[in-house]
Amino acid sequence: MSDFFTVALLTATLRMATPLVFAAMGGLLSERSGVINIALEGMMLTGAFFAVAGTHWTGSSWLGAIIGVGAASVAGCIHAFWCITLRGNQIVAGTAINLMAAGLTAFLIQIIWGRAGGTDSVSQLPDVFGGVNILIIAAIVLVPLVHFYLFRTKQGLHTMASGESPQAAESVGIDVTRNRYLAVVASGALAGCGGVFLSIGNLSYFTIDMTAGRGFIALAAVIFGGWTPFGAAAAALLFGSAQAVQIQAQATSGFPVSPDLLVALPYLLTLIAVTGLIRNAPAPAGLGKHANAH
Amino acid sequence: MAGLTRLNARLNRRRLIVASGGAALGAAVLGKGAYVAAQDSDVIATLVTDTAGIGDQNFNDLANAGGVQAAEDFGIDWRVLESQTQADYVTNLTLALEQGQLTVPNGFLLIDAVAEVAPQFPDKFIVFIDAIDENPNVQSVVFKEHEGAFLGGILSALVTQTGVLGIVGGIRVPPVERYEVGFIAGARTINPNIEILISYADSFEDPTLGQDLTLAQFNNGADIVLPIAGRTGVGSFDAANERGEGVWILAGDTDQSHLGPEAQLAYIKKGVDEAVYQGCEQVANDTFEAGIRDLGLTEAGMDLLGFHASVDQGTLDIVEAYKQAIIDGTIAVPANDAELEAFEPTVLEGGATPEATPAS
Repeated sequence: MSDFFTVALLTATLRMATPLVFAAMGGLLSERSGVINIALEGMMLTGAFFAVAGTHWTGSSWLGAIIGVGAASVAGCIHAFWCITLRGNQIVAGTAINLMAAGLTAFLIQIIWGRAGGTDSVSQLPDVFGGVNILIIAAIVLVPLVHFYLFRTKQGLHTMASGESPQAAESVGIDVTRNRYLAVVASGALAGCGGVFLSIGNLSYFTIDMTAGRGFIALAAVIFGGWTPFGAAAAALLFGSAQAVQIQAQATSGFPVSPDLLVALPYLLTLIAVTGLIRNAPAPAGLGKHANAH
Repeated sequence: MAGLTRLNARLNRRRLIVASGGAALGAAVLGKGAYVAAQDSDVIATLVTDTAGIGDQNFNDLANAGGVQAAEDFGIDWRVLESQTQADYVTNLTLALEQGQLTVPNGFLLIDAVAEVAPQFPDKFIVFIDAIDENPNVQSVVFKEHEGAFLGGILSALVTQTGVLGIVGGIRVPPVERYEVGFIAGARTINPNIEILISYADSFEDPTLGQDLTLAQFNNGADIVLPIAGRTGVGSFDAANERGEGVWILAGDTDQSHLGPEAQLAYIKKGVDEAVYQGCEQVANDTFEAGIRDLGLTEAGMDLLGFHASVDQGTLDIVEAYKQAIIDGTIAVPANDAELEAFEPTVLEGGATPEATPAS
């Protein structure tokens, strides 16, 4: 037990939390602009897949990462087009993105690699600073950046205005459509970064449905975090650390807690977080509402 | 009711195609891949995977390999239905049983679905892998995973430098429990004080989690880890590759050395492919027999194979001696927690010397 809280535990926490932080920041931008984004899972999956495909095509994991983020941005564009331009139901559009991403990636594995289920290995994103993945550092830097953007820049405040009251925002000349498009595409790119971390940051290949619900957990983190960057990041870290503790505890022989309980720990903590922390943090008032017809 | 079931099956088929993005459809159109080994044949056999699906490089791929081989040898029409969620089991099984003579539900997790669907198709055949169903049209194939894993435990305990071994499990269904128990019994036979770390992912589909569970075990001193976790276990190889020298993976079910040629110590063979192949053969030749097949070392349903080149002959001889002792009944390997509790290790005298190995 003495060596239970180790560097390894911290590293595991960061590894677990990083994809969640990326996706949560993405979800936050989208939701703050007024567009519900349950498509984070699909966007992550798209990013994860195309990072591997891009690395496979170009031979460079850096180019692969860019291609992955780009593809996830395209998924963001599609979500934006359905939700904003076509004024579709945002939940349905998000579900469609998730199903499309799951199906398309499974299909493309067969086209590109000629077999089912998973890709071949490609080169990983290199580690920097003694074994810390560059995307972990990027995730840490990202959180204050998003905070600054939303609360300290004109563009960010316009984004939030679009999410609080699209009609009012339009009436003072804010281009709600443009702001929402930007936010949703950015959310695709950020969720894509989370996916890139999963496929070529942590591992070196893609397997079907490898995001395993992390997009939804990230969305939950946005909500627990009261739609604020630091709140959402803290929620993502909470989930990541619960997962890391669970992993470390299981690997510690004679740990006096049932493994079944340990596996449930992240979800238990999540429940406690929901009941304890979400007092009255309100959702953006215009969430899911369309702007006036032009 | 039958109409409703058919409707459900149709709806599910449509959903499956959408959900898997036409994965199956694409393979059919391209005429390649493992999904459809289409032949002009009267006999249609369908594999229904568990949620880990084709491409797990493990249990489901093994079953599929058996069917693909059977399609080649007996000219049957081999098809695959992948289950995206547990809710797909009943609909996929129904669809499979409607379309063909033989259905192969793959995995213990389908046990309730098989029990529900099998009686509705009394004139169709089912070869159920990894669990027992007693309907008269079902051939249940279960394996003595504990026997293969016991040998894996013997090997690991002989090879380990740290005296700490690890197990990364998917979900603790009975076949996984048998693996776990057999491995522990084997390791303790060699070294009663050996430490064994046991972690569960609670999923057969999360390689990222598998990687982290394995890394944590390495960090805590384990130098050989046995993943019994389908797609999750693929991540164990990433952990080993990341660590490099000094750690090993003992693979379960099938040879996974392509995931880490220098990382695989050996693999515990589980003859799922052969069982599926034989099931297809029986149906193709009209010799299908319902009932239970329980396959262990004696039947060559389980084995320990693919030893890394660095494993020395003395070690191999000891493993072989224990294998013979299990086959001739000298050692009864425990198959569940209760039996492990009561297990008294039988240490073979002179197991280390070549002459102790039976000449056969």
